[in-house]
Amino acid sequence: MTIAHSEEALKTLMLLSLDGDEAAYRRLLNALRVLLVGYYSRRMGAATRADMEDLVQETLLALHSRRATYDRNRPFTSWFFSIARYKLIDHHRGRGGRMMAEVELGEDFESGFSEDAVTARMDVERLLDSLPAKQQEIIRQVKLEGQSVADTASRTGQSESAVKVGIHRGLKALAEKLRGET
Amino acid sequence: MKRTDDIIDSLVKDLKPVAPRALERRLALDLVVTLAVSLLLMLTILGLRVDMSEALMLPVFWIKSAYNALLAVVALLAVYHLARPDGSEGRFFVLIAVIFLAMAVAAAIQLMMSPGETYRVLILGSSALHCPFLIFAFALPVLAGNIWWLRRAAPTDLRLTGLIAGIAAGAAGAWVYSWFCTENGMPFVLIWYSLGILMTGLIGALIGPRLLRW
Repeated sequence: MTIAHSEEALKTLMLLSLDGDEAAYRRLLNALRVLLVGYYSRRMGAATRADMEDLVQETLLALHSRRATYDRNRPFTSWFFSIARYKLIDHHRGRGGRMMAEVELGEDFESGFSEDAVTARMDVERLLDSLPAKQQEIIRQVKLEGQSVADTASRTGQSESAVKVGIHRGLKALAEKLRGET
Repeated sequence: MKRTDDIIDSLVKDLKPVAPRALERRLALDLVVTLAVSLLLMLTILGLRVDMSEALMLPVFWIKSAYNALLAVVALLAVYHLARPDGSEGRFFVLIAVIFLAMAVAAAIQLMMSPGETYRVLILGSSALHCPFLIFAFALPVLAGNIWWLRRAAPTDLRLTGLIAGIAAGAAGAWVYSWFCTENGMPFVLIWYSLGILMTGLIGALIGPRLLRW
């Protein structure tokens, strides 16, 4: 299943959800769940899987109960990742600040979800669109969502080395395209 | 532990449409109610200032009223933005400094134009000691309303949001109190009103992290 994780696609789903469209809401939550797994796994090095699953669930619940705080005229992803970030910090705080240092380190990445980064991300999506569907999918999963090669391989039914080669070829093609453009 | 799929199922089932501007409408309603409560409390406990008809002609009365009203509006706007997870306080601290400085200029002008023996009245008046506490008291309904509203919103900087929500409530309480208070000294307002507002702000900063967590 390919889910478009672009700002545009997610925002459209969110707007439909706010109007009560259940199918759109389900698609949105499933897409965000994948994004969250990537987001948290990059920031919780030593955390257990259960911890991360907890956080993903908590974040989805928070999105649900606070959905009235989304301003329809503003980017969706920056709103959403602000919630994810808050939940991550709150999670660490709940453990007596034991892992606060890790959060601080994460700040650099976090600021990557500013509006600039969102438009940059949209550019990346546009570039990706020019690749074959198979390569698009694995690059999105491994490079953008931060999933492991092994997970992606089993999800797409390929061998790990095929995924690695696919990513390598896809990135090379993108690099050539960029060089050609400038 | 519940599975994420189950949670998504239950959330989808629970989905109800959200009216556009739902957040804003709740805030407006909260404000109207809590300001009304505060005004009613003031009118029943203290009553309007005894020289009301003359006071309405005094520029100082209106400057005092405007000072508090402006602070309240600026702080409320900041709270409104901070209530969203991706919001910030914007230029709140700059604006509040500008308003405070303007009031300081007004106070300085009034002092320069007055004879030295009136300074005591202009600065300390007759109510300096209880003024900040009464402001705090009339701010409490608004503070409760602000917190109540914020608890259903999604602020991420809880201490800052609490502080500014407190300042907003303090300024609203000061505005309510200014209908009773007979002081005509601008320095008095600058010092004692601001102190009451600041006090409410500090209480907000203190309770924010505890009460606004979500």
